[in-house]
Amino acid sequence: MPETIPADAFAAAADGRPRLARAAPLVVTVLAAAALWVAPLVLDTFAVNVLTRSMIYAVLAVTVDLLWGFAGILTFGQAAFFGVGAYATAMLLTAQGGAPHWMAAAILLAVAAPVLLGLAVGWLSFYHRSTALYASVISLVVPIVVTQGIYSGGERTGSSSGLVGFDVLPLEIEGFFRLAAFLLVAVTLAAWILVRSDAGRMLVALRDNEARCAYLGLNPRRLQIGLTAALAGVAGLAGFVFANASGVVAPENAGFLFGTELVIWVALGGRGTLIGPVLGTIAIDYLAANLSGDLPFLWQLLLGTAFVAIIILLPGGLAELARRAWGALPRGQRPAFAPRLRAEPSHAAERTEAPLLTVRGLAKSYGSLTVLENIDVTIRAGELVSLVGPNGAGKTTLMRCLSDGTEPFRGAIAVGGVSTTGLTPNRIVALGVGRKFQVASVFESLSVADCLRLARASRAGLSPLARAETLALPQAVLDILRMTGLDAVLAEPARLLSHGQKQALELAMVVALEPRLILLDEPTAGLTKAERTTIGTVLKGLTADLGIAVVLVEHDLDFVREISSRIVVLHQGRLVLDGTVDEVVGSELVRTIYAGGGHD
Amino acid sequence: MIGAKPFAPTRIGTMLLILDILTTAAILFVVAIGLLAVFGVLKIINFAHGAWLTVGAYCAVVTAKLGLNPWAALPLAFAVGAALGGLAELFIIRPLYRRPLDAILATWGLGIVVGQLITLAFGRDVQLTPNLVSGTVDVFGTGYSAYRLVALLAALVVGAAFALVIERTRLGLSARAVIMNETLARSLGLDTARVRLVVFMIGAGLAALAGVLLTPLTSVDPTMGVGWLIGAFMLVMVADTSFLALAAACLVFGAAQVLVSTFVSPVLGGIAVAVLAALVLRISPKGFSRA
Amino acid sequence: MINAGPADAVSAAGGASLVLGGVSSGYGAVSIVKGVSLAIRPGESVALLGKNGMGKTTLLKTILGLVALRAGSVAIDGRSVAGLPPAKLVALGVGYAPQEQPLFQDLSIRDNLRLALASDRLLPGALERVFGYFPFLRDRLSQRAGTLSGGEQKMLILARALMLRPRLLLIDEISEGLQPSVVDRIAAALQAERAANGTSLLIVEQNLDFALRVANRWAALKLGEIDDEGSVDGDARARILCHLSV
Repeated sequence: MPETIPADAFAAAADGRPRLARAAPLVVTVLAAAALWVAPLVLDTFAVNVLTRSMIYAVLAVTVDLLWGFAGILTFGQAAFFGVGAYATAMLLTAQGGAPHWMAAAILLAVAAPVLLGLAVGWLSFYHRSTALYASVISLVVPIVVTQGIYSGGERTGSSSGLVGFDVLPLEIEGFFRLAAFLLVAVTLAAWILVRSDAGRMLVALRDNEARCAYLGLNPRRLQIGLTAALAGVAGLAGFVFANASGVVAPENAGFLFGTELVIWVALGGRGTLIGPVLGTIAIDYLAANLSGDLPFLWQLLLGTAFVAIIILLPGGLAELARRAWGALPRGQRPAFAPRLRAEPSHAAERTEAPLLTVRGLAKSYGSLTVLENIDVTIRAGELVSLVGPNGAGKTTLMRCLSDGTEPFRGAIAVGGVSTTGLTPNRIVALGVGRKFQVASVFESLSVADCLRLARASRAGLSPLARAETLALPQAVLDILRMTGLDAVLAEPARLLSHGQKQALELAMVVALEPRLILLDEPTAGLTKAERTTIGTVLKGLTADLGIAVVLVEHDLDFVREISSRIVVLHQGRLVLDGTVDEVVGSELVRTIYAGGGHD
Repeated sequence: MIGAKPFAPTRIGTMLLILDILTTAAILFVVAIGLLAVFGVLKIINFAHGAWLTVGAYCAVVTAKLGLNPWAALPLAFAVGAALGGLAELFIIRPLYRRPLDAILATWGLGIVVGQLITLAFGRDVQLTPNLVSGTVDVFGTGYSAYRLVALLAALVVGAAFALVIERTRLGLSARAVIMNETLARSLGLDTARVRLVVFMIGAGLAALAGVLLTPLTSVDPTMGVGWLIGAFMLVMVADTSFLALAAACLVFGAAQVLVSTFVSPVLGGIAVAVLAALVLRISPKGFSRA
Repeated sequence: MINAGPADAVSAAGGASLVLGGVSSGYGAVSIVKGVSLAIRPGESVALLGKNGMGKTTLLKTILGLVALRAGSVAIDGRSVAGLPPAKLVALGVGYAPQEQPLFQDLSIRDNLRLALASDRLLPGALERVFGYFPFLRDRLSQRAGTLSGGEQKMLILARALMLRPRLLLIDEISEGLQPSVVDRIAAALQAERAANGTSLLIVEQNLDFALRVANRWAALKLGEIDDEGSVDGDARARILCHLSV
């Protein structure tokens, strides 16, 4: 019974999307592979040798770009994983020789060792409330530790002189060139498919708004650790090829300086474009090999100057320049991609009379300042409870305590009978709690449709290979999209939406989680009269028709009066009144709180 | 990093070990203090810090070539560092205030540029500088490097001067106001852009000063700053914005470095600061500043 | 010497005029203040009322240059100040008592007051002046601001705004959460300062009694626009209550 929303311009365009564009990665791959197969026949030995190395480095650049350009994790640590892979290979082959089964073991070890290290580094770098800066700090320490480990490894690691003379794969230099080319093409293709897929949106979502990911029930920490470990494995594989192709490994291969060079190449090529970092790395490394013999210092000076200038003036790198030039050409605009919408049968839980949310004796203080004191509230399915009170009454703090069990508070909060103490936001979402923030929290670089798809990801998953042609959403979400006109701008990036549309999008994302309880922090702030009315209608529908409970922090008391089934008044951290709309509106106490200081 | 001879665990050995810890901590403190000032006020990580150290060390080289008193390198380095820092703040840091991760990269790139300019001017070979103070001093019946004691004194002087500026001057008050609440500072009429500029200049000047003080302890070459950068950076991360916390961190991690170097291995001692600081941050993200 | 305020701004007597013409501002994609026009004559005191979230604080920040002006004009004494940084406005004699995070909690009372002046040369005189309004500050100069009680903190915020002897004072909900006795002291200080110097005043308030005591005109802000305005007279209270009540 899937109901298709009447096709709009964008949805129709999605159907007519040219087949060529969808096959672009494959076409480019085949062409690149063919060219690289032929290349060693026409290039001189020097060029073949240098380019083999450059292409291996380009594989690392792809991993740095996925981490930094897409997922927003600035890392200097890929050099360490590369070094571990290269040393694992060299050490095993030195000890055991290059028999085929030992070669296979070397591949396994070159991938497994960095993956394990990556898991450890990921665990260290990413935790609830960790910062992007901290992850970068750790990524600086890892190569230093690995390098010092190599220095202190004595005979086994060759210390400062590295390892040389171990058995390698029985290939000529053309063979190694093709092996490196194969690895580069394969890794780039895989990365390209990933970033174009629905799962690739996830990386961007992590970069844009990690908190929102958590409040969509996704575990950002696990994703970041997984990504770190997986890309550590890829870097290790590149290390295996490097050890074989060069026949020598040295501490510099794992060092912090090499780690920063990778970042420089990616920045110059254009972070977040994959192809920019690949071409940038190959071009710079190849140029360096040719120029640094004659003008070693001048070359480094030029590179450093270009890097500083690019970071300041052209954060998108040379790829950005190319894109601008390309964009200036007169040509047909390819319509942006938007999936067809489809109604998903509702999974809404049965309505019960048991309390959905119980708060008992909740108290919170910052140092000596008490923000909340002895709050008792019970909320049942289908209620629309407004939380009002003057500035500093503790409303937003209360919302934070309800949605994040790691906030230090005293007292007890339970959702559906389950205590939330110590639970991270994503686990509270799993209990059926959705939260909408005061400042619309959406994924600015993603399209409206992608934002909604991520909101469904904890239930429906995301394809790592392709973009789904349809997007199934609960009927209530489709209604919100239709009422707010968002269904007509599905392909539009969220950052281009108006303030009101962003607020509506965030609400739609929260409803798409099919929560039992929705927490809303000032959903109407800055909205027009018409937009407020729409939001009010939506909220009434959610509570009356679906039995969802809503807790609303709101300053606009007219709005509160219209939609609430109950009003809770907070004042200076205490719950001073909990009653029906009439009781609260008629209350002398409330009038005093709002018109005067509140003490008289 | 800083060499430490293995000692037999005798009483004199223990005293010398303590002296080593104090002098190591002093040197770490001198190296990191400029970075701390910049991180506190500008809220960016200045990866060109290593380059300022190098610039300072080459000021010592220039002073020697000009035949001046070696101590003249100290004011010269501070002035040169501050001037270069001022230019860097205006043209590189200022456009990147809202992009702190990019500021790390741009300052790193600046470090490369400075390093290569020094290489073009002086070559990449190790430079010899005259000793500021040579010889040994008799401590508990054993000869102890006189210069390391001078470095300890220098750290105390720099620390005291820094504390005085921060606590007693108008500039220090403005800097603290910007660290604590930049919006409020602006709304009271403070020219926060100028506070940032001046603090960045002082930070770069202090780093160059530290570069001069390092010359007797380490070889002077165009990349010498990089080795010191990471340690200083980790110490500042742990100290957050408090210079007392920085002093504490230098003592604790300096002690760890000396002890690991002495009793386990000098190589592991070299990474003790970075690894311990990373672990401290993982456990307590605010580091030492809460204590 | 980091403050940009020239000394002569302090000695200039009398209140400044403030004219807002169609002022709009906001954050990111959000418009908070939408076309506010308001004129304050030298020495006049205007109370800006309205419920939370209506744009009152943003309007003050826009006047001071902390939030960028998107449309409209701001003129002080007939001179356009649009686009000037806060330091320049402070130099023109604009004092500001903010509502959110208004004090350097970890600095001493003395340092909090010092930061309002461009130079320590003017400090002793300015301190004496504000001790006249709030004598308790005299003996507690070295105490950390964060250790003061809520009411004392509010008085310190006002004292700091008065240090410069401003010609135009912008005050954001100074009476919030205060006991009546403290509200009285603050109102008395404001009245005395205006009587002595003719200071112009723009106060954002939710406490109606306080607003009516210090202001001679009022304006109600709703959803970023001026909804109603008038003089403080017999029916002001009733009209304003319509805008504030539930």
